[in-house]
Amino acid sequence: MEFEAQYYDGVVARAQNVLVEIEQLDKKYTDPKSPEFLVENSAAIAISKLDSERGGRGHEIAHWRSNHVFSISSSKTELRLGVSNRLAGERLVFSGSQIDKIHRLLPGLAVKRRKNIGRQMRFIGLASGALVSLVGAYIIGIPLMANRIVGLVPAQTEVDFGLTIAGQMPDAFAEQGGIPLCDEDANSVANLAIARFVDQALQGVDTPFAVDIQVVNNPIPNAFALPGGQAYYFSGLLQKTQNSDEFSAVLAHEIGHVVARHGMQKMISSAGTGLLVGFVLGDITGLSVAGGLGSVLINNSFSREAEREADAFAAQVSTRMNFNPAAMVNLLDRVALDDEFAKAMALFGTHPLNSERREALAQSDRQLSTNDAQFSSQEWLAIKSMCSGSGTANQRQSDNDVGGDEGSTNNPTENPRRKNTKIKT
Amino acid sequence: MKNPGNGFQATVTFVGSRTRLLAIMFSGYFLMLLTVGIYRFWLVTNKRRFYWSHTKIDGDALEYTGSAMQLLIGFLFAVMIFIPLYGFFFYLSTQSPETAIIGYSGAAIFMYFMYGYAAFRSRRFLLSRTLWRGIRFQLTGSAWSYAFRRLFWTVLTFLTLGLAFPFMSVSLWKYRYSHTWFGDRQCSFSGSWRQIAIPFYLYYFMVAGLILLGFNTNIATSPDSGLSANNYELSPEASSIYSAAIMVAIIAYFHLRAYITSAMLSSISIGKTRLKVTVRTRDLSWLQIAYSFVLAIVAVGFGLIVAYLMGDVFAPMLQDDGADLGQVLQMGWYNLIVFGGIYLGFMASISIVSEIILKLGFWRLVARGTVLENAGDLQDIRAGGQESPLVGEGLADALNAGAY
Repeated sequence: MEFEAQYYDGVVARAQNVLVEIEQLDKKYTDPKSPEFLVENSAAIAISKLDSERGGRGHEIAHWRSNHVFSISSSKTELRLGVSNRLAGERLVFSGSQIDKIHRLLPGLAVKRRKNIGRQMRFIGLASGALVSLVGAYIIGIPLMANRIVGLVPAQTEVDFGLTIAGQMPDAFAEQGGIPLCDEDANSVANLAIARFVDQALQGVDTPFAVDIQVVNNPIPNAFALPGGQAYYFSGLLQKTQNSDEFSAVLAHEIGHVVARHGMQKMISSAGTGLLVGFVLGDITGLSVAGGLGSVLINNSFSREAEREADAFAAQVSTRMNFNPAAMVNLLDRVALDDEFAKAMALFGTHPLNSERREALAQSDRQLSTNDAQFSSQEWLAIKSMCSGSGTANQRQSDNDVGGDEGSTNNPTENPRRKNTKIKT
Repeated sequence: MKNPGNGFQATVTFVGSRTRLLAIMFSGYFLMLLTVGIYRFWLVTNKRRFYWSHTKIDGDALEYTGSAMQLLIGFLFAVMIFIPLYGFFFYLSTQSPETAIIGYSGAAIFMYFMYGYAAFRSRRFLLSRTLWRGIRFQLTGSAWSYAFRRLFWTVLTFLTLGLAFPFMSVSLWKYRYSHTWFGDRQCSFSGSWRQIAIPFYLYYFMVAGLILLGFNTNIATSPDSGLSANNYELSPEASSIYSAAIMVAIIAYFHLRAYITSAMLSSISIGKTRLKVTVRTRDLSWLQIAYSFVLAIVAVGFGLIVAYLMGDVFAPMLQDDGADLGQVLQMGWYNLIVFGGIYLGFMASISIVSEIILKLGFWRLVARGTVLENAGDLQDIRAGGQESPLVGEGLADALNAGAY
């Protein structure tokens, strides 16, 4: 059959009007499913110049074999053919009603196209599968790996890093007036009692860090530990803390974070997740919010694990000390229920309390008589009133559920008790 | 056979439809979701095939010969380059704020530099995979050299408060187009900074003058001294002058963009064939208005969905009335997935709207506004060059540098 077409010879930038004759050479293998089909279904495609003067066929300028011919993605109004054993740019372009006829004459075109799409689809499927398992391995593996990697970080590096963050803390909480120490006197009854608690909790525990828990003046009900041993107990939380058991449980929990190096692990793990999300979304610079969302997903699962570990640590030290680690549940519930600042999610951002964790904590529940408590009632009173002393005018309205003794006092400036933490040898 | 008389003028047409592109975009984003993002290389390839195959120069369509696989491999290369950089960012985050600021600024400049490099490489990839009448385009020149020029001119433009812009613009256009080849013939670029300078400086001094005038008026007319530090209230006279300045700046943006595109593209010639491109300010402005309008509808739609979820579905689950997103997200995987889905849908909608209105619109404006004078001369051009670089524009993809 003869068709009119445009022909580019791949040598010169010129479109030639041609007549194309397609002649079937071998009709044996017309079943597209037979393996020989592509190789053997050879039609001869003769391309001749269209004689513009006489309107007929001029001399032949190219000769293609159908098994080398493939179709090229183009607009629906044209069919574009290339040929694999000749010049890369050589093309035949058919248009209009001829397209269907050509497809019928050269069924191999459709077969090749389908095969090509199939190959790509299989590849995409495989690659996505690989990526999904990579992401899965990452979500599970990163916390584990962070655990290993953190072992490679020298303790002093972590301490220095923690001090860098500690230096930024007053700015981070500037909105509430920073985090000035409640009691600057390291030898006050309260501070000595807390230091004794830390020492006892760390007895026999293998850790390079000296834990320094600071009770600071800030209305947010929160407590957290930085890498390297700095930990903070906010006056907002102290106000909600009803007994020394709750206080002890939180202290032990925070010490657990330091000992397990969770702060550092979290740093490493979130750096890793950022990279992964960037890879998946193709935005390596990680500027997109989607990256943040993915990181939240992975970090959430990470912090659940970390909380479980810190709880376990608290439960473990409580067996040789006198406090009830399960008391923390009451404190967390209380804060969740009645504090307007809970909206800021400060405490739950760092200490999500789900049913699983609740259960685990309940198992460590132990009843103690008040006489056995880790802090003497005198010490507990001193701790409770730590943040109400030192005389400066109270500039902040506090919610008065423990008697209105709360107040922001110190200047949020450099503070004499904040010592340089050294590695304990 | 077309009759290539000496003064033969060829036109460019674009016959692609919005609905076709919309279908490509929708199915592309759907498959991206199913394939955790891997499909985006195929989506980009399909998009390019759409644009290229529907753009006809003198009746013959362009052809895009690149493959998605090349893009994927290129991306993997880019990842290898980025991992050390990422390690550096992590290291910075553990340092003191001063070090971190210096480090991040350095990295930002480095990234800006690399963006120029990547954009040039991406252009080379595209051109070497573009055929017209069976003949390939190519881009010579050095991507490093281009990136250095770009950085140098940007710094200079910054230091001169924008006055160096016409020079920067022409220098970069010239580098791009005088290194562009079609087959064995090199393009030449005759554009000059003077072409841009006249309208640019006119607008520049108009806006600057209005701002100064507004400043002075404010001092003269405001009840307090306009310079007093805590007086941010503008006098009505001054604010109307400032509004005028903003209006002029907006008009300037569209006019200059249309003008510079037309003038610079019209400075390109290949042999005796010259491009003549007219992009009208009016059309460009309509495009932007249409885009903003549709974008606003999309944003309001998604806003309503989120508001409904927060108010009616999630608020009762929280103790206090004011539900905030942070809280909802803490409440489990299900919520995270819902909001993650909404977020991804929103981002996808934005990029689909931008593609089918802005990008397609601009492409069509340029295509339809272009004629080739003395197009008969093109018929003697012979093939030359090959597909290069072999793997895709990974860095550009990673840096988001590639358009179309």
